[in-house]
Amino acid sequence: MAIKEKTNTQLFVDGILKENPIFKLALSMCPAVGISTSVMNGILLGTAVLFVQVCSSCTISLVRNYIHPKIRIPTYTLTIAMWVTVIDLVLAAYVPVAYKAMGLFVRLIVAFAIITMRLEMFASREPVEKSFFDGLGMGLGFMFAMMALGFVRELLGSGMILGYDILGFKPLLFFVLPCAGFFVVGVMMGFFNWIEVVYKRRKEV
Amino acid sequence: MKEIIKITFALTISCVIAASAMGLTYMATAKAKKHNHHMNVQNAMIGLLGFGEDNPAPSDLKFLNVYRYIVEDGDKKFLGYMVPVEKGREEAYEMVLIDLEGNFVEKLEVPISAEKAEEARDRATALQKVLTPPKIFTYADASVIATAGGKRLGYVLPGKFPGFRTFIHTLVAMDPKFELLGLEIMEHEEDAGLGKEIEQEYFRNQFKGKTYEKLKTLGVIKKPLPMEYKKYLEKSKWEEGMFTEEQIAEIRKQYKDADIYAITASTISSKAVTDGVKNVAKKFAYRIGKLDSVLKQENIHAAF
Repeated sequence: MAIKEKTNTQLFVDGILKENPIFKLALSMCPAVGISTSVMNGILLGTAVLFVQVCSSCTISLVRNYIHPKIRIPTYTLTIAMWVTVIDLVLAAYVPVAYKAMGLFVRLIVAFAIITMRLEMFASREPVEKSFFDGLGMGLGFMFAMMALGFVRELLGSGMILGYDILGFKPLLFFVLPCAGFFVVGVMMGFFNWIEVVYKRRKEV
Repeated sequence: MKEIIKITFALTISCVIAASAMGLTYMATAKAKKHNHHMNVQNAMIGLLGFGEDNPAPSDLKFLNVYRYIVEDGDKKFLGYMVPVEKGREEAYEMVLIDLEGNFVEKLEVPISAEKAEEARDRATALQKVLTPPKIFTYADASVIATAGGKRLGYVLPGKFPGFRTFIHTLVAMDPKFELLGLEIMEHEEDAGLGKEIEQEYFRNQFKGKTYEKLKTLGVIKKPLPMEYKKYLEKSKWEEGMFTEEQIAEIRKQYKDADIYAITASTISSKAVTDGVKNVAKKFAYRIGKLDSVLKQENIHAAF
């Protein structure tokens, strides 16, 4: 379906399922492999990315007609950096509890491919409303993927979920190391795609 | 040519807008951010000294900062301590210069208030007026002395040392006799499930109660942590009636002079923290000893 025909809800849902940034679009694998060591990390980073994605998408969408085509990328980077800084400062000042947990992650977001790519592919061509829902879907899709990865790695690696000791022992400690991140992302990507194939087949029948 | 001018103009405008947005946000949030950070550190320090809900801190609890500088005058090196002194009712700071053997060299008044002294830049400006060239001074660290009712309650020292990955930032609390009151891990980049376990109570609380004598020779044992000791250390998970008073005293006595039980598969991180705490404590005990004797000798009325 061409982008112009998608409704807002469709854009939103696509970001989570059909065009999930990590499992389908294979973008922003760095945090997926490196930082998805626990569910809490996933939630915190996912929330931060959600904010930055939505704000950047809307900003670029508002000024999309004034961006000189030759300096698109610097403009996107400037916007993302601006929003990351603003969110970082606001959190530090007004929500110190969240800042203590999230602070380190927020600053990493500037380098994520998903946000720049989304701005280039979508926000710079579509009106604000559509960009808002697309950003929302992408951000939530990212958060969901990170949480899923974090769940597997935290449970198998340190026997805990959200810091609570579930298993009481550490089954396969290497799951919290980056190498295992690659394995888990690959397997989950395959699993995700397999579910989609099965679902489509069912629909046809 | 016109193209380049257009691009340059567009980039400049974008940068200006982004910079203004960031600058405005900074101006609006800077004060609140600093206040939050300050409160964080204060609460961590109060917790470390052993105060909490069931043991509230005394109302006249004060945290006094002693800033240590390295001062060079030609080829001579001194230690400069910026010490809060009592001048009637006002707080003031004096820079006490001590040579490397611990002998008093000179004392200078530093025109700065306690609040401003917490800012590195304000300190440097004030010190420049007093430590005139050819003296060069470099900031080393700041130690916190907690007082209440005119007596010293304890010391809280920032400790930064290399860990398994990068650096580990800690706060080490000691009582006036240099017995360890507590250890708080502030920042680190150790691996989850491995070195990150240094944040856990069953590791950190092992340091509590170690006397200075034991601290000087503290080592790391590569044996599993005894179950009973582990339950005792995880104070926040204690249930009602889990330990009787006698049992607590028993366990405390048994492990008082034990070495630190290393975290499984993280001997290097465990050793890094143990050695780091040891060094921080030893260095501070030595320095405060020298400083105290100089203050007493020169009759300087420090606020602690």
